[in-house]
Amino acid sequence: MSNIGWKDVLADEMSDDLAHEIDIFEGQMELMGQGKLDEKVFAETRLRRGVYGQRYDNGQRHDGFESRELAFEEMERIKGPDTLWHAPGMQRIKVPGGGLTPNQLDVLAQVADEYSDGILHITTRQDIQLHFVHIEDTPDMMRRLASVGITTREACGNSVRNVTCCHLAGVCRTEVFDATPYSEAFAEFLLGHDDVQDFGRKFKPAFSGCEAEACGLVMMHDIGYLAQIQEVDGKPKRGFKVYVGGGLGTVPHQAKVLSEFTPEEEILPLVQAVSRVFARLGEKRNRNRARIKFLVAKLGIEEFRRLVEEERKTLPHDDRWTAYMDTLPEYEEKPYRPPTFLNGQVNSSEFNQWYETNVYSQRQEGYSVVTVNLPLGDLTSKQTWELADIARKYVGENVRSTVEQNIVLRWVSDSDLPNLYEELKAIGLGDPGAGTIVDITACPGTDTCKLGIASSRGLAGELRTRLTAKSASLPEAIKDLKIKISGCFNSCGQHHVSDIGFFGNSRRSGNFKMPHFQVILGGKWHDNAGSYGLAVGAVPSKTVPEVVDTITSRYVEERSKGETFQEWIGRIGKKEARGIIQPFMQLPAFEQEPEYFSDWGDPRVFSLGDIGIGECAGEVVSLFSMEISPAESEAFEAQIALDENDPARADALAYSSMLKAARALVRTQFLDVGDSPDRIVQEFKSRFFDTELFFDQYAKGKFGQYLLDRHSSPNASPDNDSAHRLIEEALLFIEATHACESRVGGNVLVEI
Amino acid sequence: MIAPHRLSVKFFFSDFSVDVESFIPVFHRWIREDVVPNELLLDVADYKHIGDGPAILLVGHEADYIIDLTDGKPGLLYVRKRDAGSDLSDALGRTLFQALNGAKLTENDVELKGKLKLRTDGATIVLLDRLNYPNGANGDGADSPASDAQAQLSDNLAAIFGEDATVTRVANDAREPLTFELQAPSAPDVDTLLNQLGRGD
Ligand code: HEM
Ligand code: SF4
Repeated sequence: MSNIGWKDVLADEMSDDLAHEIDIFEGQMELMGQGKLDEKVFAETRLRRGVYGQRYDNGQRHDGFESRELAFEEMERIKGPDTLWHAPGMQRIKVPGGGLTPNQLDVLAQVADEYSDGILHITTRQDIQLHFVHIEDTPDMMRRLASVGITTREACGNSVRNVTCCHLAGVCRTEVFDATPYSEAFAEFLLGHDDVQDFGRKFKPAFSGCEAEACGLVMMHDIGYLAQIQEVDGKPKRGFKVYVGGGLGTVPHQAKVLSEFTPEEEILPLVQAVSRVFARLGEKRNRNRARIKFLVAKLGIEEFRRLVEEERKTLPHDDRWTAYMDTLPEYEEKPYRPPTFLNGQVNSSEFNQWYETNVYSQRQEGYSVVTVNLPLGDLTSKQTWELADIARKYVGENVRSTVEQNIVLRWVSDSDLPNLYEELKAIGLGDPGAGTIVDITACPGTDTCKLGIASSRGLAGELRTRLTAKSASLPEAIKDLKIKISGCFNSCGQHHVSDIGFFGNSRRSGNFKMPHFQVILGGKWHDNAGSYGLAVGAVPSKTVPEVVDTITSRYVEERSKGETFQEWIGRIGKKEARGIIQPFMQLPAFEQEPEYFSDWGDPRVFSLGDIGIGECAGEVVSLFSMEISPAESEAFEAQIALDENDPARADALAYSSMLKAARALVRTQFLDVGDSPDRIVQEFKSRFFDTELFFDQYAKGKFGQYLLDRHSSPNASPDNDSAHRLIEEALLFIEATHACESRVGGNVLVEI
Repeated sequence: MIAPHRLSVKFFFSDFSVDVESFIPVFHRWIREDVVPNELLLDVADYKHIGDGPAILLVGHEADYIIDLTDGKPGLLYVRKRDAGSDLSDALGRTLFQALNGAKLTENDVELKGKLKLRTDGATIVLLDRLNYPNGANGDGADSPASDAQAQLSDNLAAIFGEDATVTRVANDAREPLTFELQAPSAPDVDTLLNQLGRGD
């Protein structure tokens, strides 16, 4: 019974691609365990599958008095630089456009309780994260997710991250058109695409349906697509205004307009061209300057645009650029129930309060979007499958996650709202206040992030409790302000684009360090994250609730009629704004206020000792190392197949591993070799074999000949012996590929 | 029978006059003082904002200790995540022992003493392993891994908790893990249970 694994049970439910991807990863894990894979290559490999490190995974933890070793078993075994194999980590799960089905929710809930701590966490980019996951569990977890069409591929690392899209797309009252099918096509096109494997840094895309609202946040993304309709030859034509080079982080950049209007058939080639320019010219060594925003700033948008246009002309044609357009006319979300109306019936005041903040009337009459307000973006496994059932009952598949760490149920028929509310309340998910001052966004911070300085989640929880307690008496003017908190300057909590934002830092008082938050005021969430806030000064973490009270009271007292928070901050300026928080900037001594020296929800005396090396940037390894690694894993799988007495499979895998290795080598010279075995072998032969570049001093062309032979004369009925031989040959061939790459230099010489 | 991927036991509090937040410093101290033998304690996670679910977690390498408020029934939930044992019986023994040890540590903790009491006359036992112990037949007992597990748990638990101890399968949602309820009207106290389990170990 124990020999049957999820791999067998789910064999028919996973797509071949995903199943194979996961097998490769499992093979790489095995090779890493045997010390046969470079630690940096493995780290980047796992990051590109969403398998992230987590705080304390270097085996050190400060207990409030001293830094102590966490004695994991096999301390020498690692899964990346300074990252212990057995230390639990975080799994990020990609959710394109936030789209989730009830069946997916069911499986997410199940993997959360079997492999994590039974909590699902929604991130600020519509993803889902699970924490405290052991790496050994990740392949099976991925298989279970793959069985419902979820991949974790390229959720982290220097790759194209989750493609976000407005959670209201398709039902929004102000959108130009529904951006969803475009964002889906974009995500699918770029997933695993050859041209996005050699970035110096991550690349975050976003789609938005309109300019004025916030949902898509295109202005803060590496690439952003904003829906537009233009008159072309007298007919309305769909397309996008395209932005590039936005981003938050320490140095926030507003995106620049790359193209005023890119027609729909050009959006995929455009991003492909952008990717190539970024891969070729983007910074690789200094990760602090490697995001595309720095390249755009360095070249200037005109030059960048020119390079992209040049690149576009050289791209080999790809049918996929427009194939998705055939499906556009059929794309439509189906409401699950017929439209109905509330008809003025009397409801409880609790319901009315919830209705006011958590219900959005769709463009389609008789339907609404309901926001499930998740405290700190968290929900339990049990709540997740209960929510899945509520979705099944009221909205079918129409569920999405949001960048404000909530979940929305779309296409709720209006007269169902009171019952739906009662059902959400019964499972603890009926909190009102979605999108208001109590609905605070926070990154993982010191809870689980290796880079966290101060406790963003601790602070968010505290503010949420305090503000909720007095929500009834909060002045109207501040009810809809946004508070967003990051645990450090990296800005994962998107503090730059909130009214009142915070990021963690620290200050010294006497011999001790005190957790602090830098206060950022007046950022703009609307207009797709239209402008960034002003940093006005840092205050001790424990004073933040009072700081919020003081700032909001001043705003309520001083604002002129109709003046928004941003306008008010703009009017009073940085100096006066700093004056407001100045009284909180005096630091008490430890003896006076010892509690100032520990963080929210964490009684340990504060220290910076736990900050590790972040994996956000991924590892900068060559394209070749990334591409040869799956070849090695496949050769390894071939050995397993042979052990399992399956020579045909072993033979096929060994051959495929040689092709992968040859392809990796060819791509160091010629990126567009494609996937066809004939083409790969032909390019390998002409570039490396016939030129003798591949030749070994002693063996000469012998190892290369293995591939040429197997390719030209496949074995019709491989037996154990022949498969065994081929595996040996594959291993020698892969070794020779490595040797050749290091002799030849391995630089990506782009030749198109 | 094969040891499940994870196995958990929840004992319930009879008195619980303490704010869940006070477990945070307690658990941090447990880590610092390394109070649990044979387990590596890692960190404390605060989920009290969730309300109906796990509130405060002491996260460990082998196991988590959770102050759990699910369904309004506060209790100490011990989740054995790895190295539970060679088979179901062995895993159950170790899980129970460590869970009861956790109960004892909680009751006797300097900061919590007198504020809470755990009962031993009932517990919830969960086999978190949908591969080997699916919860498919939804509580009717017709699926064999579930009924075999039930028989095994009944035997093992009667020997420890008293002959009148009963193990019933909870008719929960099929997506939930396989869950059993232990009723043990004549269960001895924590120390006696620990002694018995310790002897058999
Ligand atoms: C130097 C390292 C890092 C940098 C510079 C960084 C930067 C950012 C930025 C700027 C964002 C959000 C805004 C955007 O979409 O552009 C973001 C998103 C996020 N970051 Fe980080 N981050 C780093 C490391 C980490 C780490 C170590 C974690 C936690 C393990 C983390 C967790 C998140 C989360 C949960 C999001 C939402 C993202 C998503 O779902 O894709 N970040 N990061
Ligand atoms: S902002 Fe800093 S603390 Fe928060 S998740 Fe990002 S890197 Fe970690």
